[in-house]
Amino acid sequence: MAIKIAAMILAGGKGTRLGALTKKLAKPAVSYGGKYRIIDFPLSNCANSGITHVGVLTQYESSALNSYIGNGKNWGLNGVNCLTSVLSPKQTEQGSNWYRGTADAIYQNLDWLDELDPEYVLILSGDHIYATTFDEMLAAHIKNKADCTVAVREVPLAEASRFGICETDERNFIVGFKEKPKQPKGTLASMGIYIFTYTSLKKYLKADFGKEKSDHDFGKDIIPSMIARQKRLLAYRYAGYWKDVGTIASLHQANMDLLLSGDPEIDLYSIQDSAHIYSEDNHCPPQYIGTNAVVRDCLINQGAVVKGTVDHCVISSDVTVDEGAECYNTVLMNGCHVRAGAKVYDCLVAPNEIVRKGEEVNATRDGIALYAGGRTVK
Amino acid sequence: MKNVIGLVNFHTAPEVLPITASRPLGSTSYLGRYAFCDFALSNLCNSGISQVGLLVKDHQRSILKHLGNMSSWVINTKIGHQRILYNEPAHRDPRLNTDLNNLVENDWLLYDSSAEYLLFVPSHLVVSMDLRPYLKNHVAENRAITLVASKQRNVKSAFLGSKVLEFDAQGTLVDANTNAGQYPGPASVYLDTLIVNRHLLIELIQKYKAVNPLLDIFSLLLMGYKDGVAPIAVEYFDGFVRSPDTFHHYMDYSLEMLDKHKADQLFNPQWPIYTLTHDTPPALYGVDAEVSNSYVSNGARVQGKVFNSIIARNVIVGKGAIVKNSIIFSSVKINDGAVVENALIDKYAIIEREHTIKGKAKDPLYVAQGAIL
Repeated sequence: MAIKIAAMILAGGKGTRLGALTKKLAKPAVSYGGKYRIIDFPLSNCANSGITHVGVLTQYESSALNSYIGNGKNWGLNGVNCLTSVLSPKQTEQGSNWYRGTADAIYQNLDWLDELDPEYVLILSGDHIYATTFDEMLAAHIKNKADCTVAVREVPLAEASRFGICETDERNFIVGFKEKPKQPKGTLASMGIYIFTYTSLKKYLKADFGKEKSDHDFGKDIIPSMIARQKRLLAYRYAGYWKDVGTIASLHQANMDLLLSGDPEIDLYSIQDSAHIYSEDNHCPPQYIGTNAVVRDCLINQGAVVKGTVDHCVISSDVTVDEGAECYNTVLMNGCHVRAGAKVYDCLVAPNEIVRKGEEVNATRDGIALYAGGRTVK
Repeated sequence: MKNVIGLVNFHTAPEVLPITASRPLGSTSYLGRYAFCDFALSNLCNSGISQVGLLVKDHQRSILKHLGNMSSWVINTKIGHQRILYNEPAHRDPRLNTDLNNLVENDWLLYDSSAEYLLFVPSHLVVSMDLRPYLKNHVAENRAITLVASKQRNVKSAFLGSKVLEFDAQGTLVDANTNAGQYPGPASVYLDTLIVNRHLLIELIQKYKAVNPLLDIFSLLLMGYKDGVAPIAVEYFDGFVRSPDTFHHYMDYSLEMLDKHKADQLFNPQWPIYTLTHDTPPALYGVDAEVSNSYVSNGARVQGKVFNSIIARNVIVGKGAIVKNSIIFSSVKINDGAVVENALIDKYAIIEREHTIKGKAKDPLYVAQGAIL
């Protein structure tokens, strides 16, 4: 049975700049917001868009991520006529290949897509934080008879060289595209979210596969070659909250954005009315706030035990903050324990870490630190 | 354990008014996150029992809502299942709505099963209980009936409505009577937990059912015991157990869990208590929030002050609002500047701005579901 749209989520990235957090874990599986993993956001967005067929392309440190995705149950993507497949590199008759780039990853799974026979393919990153549905973007793609629709957003000129920058005509069609330009001409950045008409996608992926000089990347190769052939590439402007967290500081900031004092554009509670962000649930008791605890401006998940002071913090399940411990502007990931008398400032504490009795972490407060392996890394 | 069917019995729960007016005790909220029957269901699951039936007395909707797709308490979702057993004919005459009549109404469970043993557990007890040793002893000693009881120092004002087992000087079980506070000193309280061989139960039903249509399962077994056809063995559970038998006890047994040492007796990381998930975000605290000695569930948003209280899912505590020594059920709104002290606020209620609800420490107030004050 042909389907209207299938989603392919690129989740193979290493996230090098997240240091110890991604040493044994793919970036999309990194925990976020006290309860979630980053990939919960794109997967929930798919579920909330009524998408029923999702392929998740994993590669780097894929075991934990693969088991987390499973059959898509956490996001309800295991219902009747739903399919969630983890697509890792595989051996074939032609030999075995790692995914050489984003486009190659999709190319190597064309057989999976062929079987579904979708009219459109939505391509997403597994490590972006945003809450939306893709309904409007798909409607725009269909209405404009586009071959490809690229989600774009305005970025500050100073940051433009980190992104693929689009040039558009007055009808919002893309007429120029440069991946990570040294001298950016504009500020309209690609978010790495694409809807392709499947026949066009297939054609360009096949053509790209044989090219020796290609990076097999959507931004560097596929989009530019489609523009060169004057295909219809539509820019779809997205103005809501969207974060590509690449560094410890930006991951820390994205966590803090969720607080009441944070970025009003992302509010897990107001998303709720129309859609939820789904995640794995744990079986912890409710969180306990101790008699002498001080809790100000925090987001705290069930199973946490807070007996000390937490101010401007995001706290995951199974975290313990002992009486007399103090944490400021800090993210405490699941299972970590801050012992009595410890003081933690402006920090991201990795899962299951123990901050020792009386230890001071990042007391100089000159930037965001990562606490992992029992020490502070900057 | 394939040869055991676990049955969660909602019939034996006490009526705890006003909270059970529209729901059974088993599906009533506990500690903001659980329903009481989560303990029974989790104990069965953790004990490896996959075939589970729920003997539902009334208010099915509340139970079905909590159970969701029923996969939260099974190990293997293909092999494991939970079935709702309901005695519809008895609804015309509540006196006939007994656990035994329910079982007889759903007698395919007795006749179409290959399980040798039926294990009954109550829907309302707060207890983390490993059922495996009792089953093991029951099988090993080739017993007919095993009752699980708890030795309590004082039942004058606890386990009201529960059965107290009475023994003679030689330690032989002679009778069991409902506790109405008449027992001075220590007592053996039957925990509504029993194992019975399926064929024996069928025999006893055939033998005694016609005698009295109002019989319950326990009385039936006791009748068989007294007639010498069904020997009973008594096992003792020596862990933490509570029966929320009155409104005051509901309040006390909830708020006592704020004592971490007590909570540790109930919650064992090796014996998780499962519950339905709701995909609610973590709890959010405002800049001026002040919270101490409280349980707060996911989905709660606290901008005011909360002391010695239990806050359930999706509760809002507005700016300047104060909640003290209280239990707040899910989706309650306590608006800015409102004060709630020594009270239980049932689901969906709204306490308007600057409004004050104050009960007495020994006599907490109850605010009904959906009330707007």
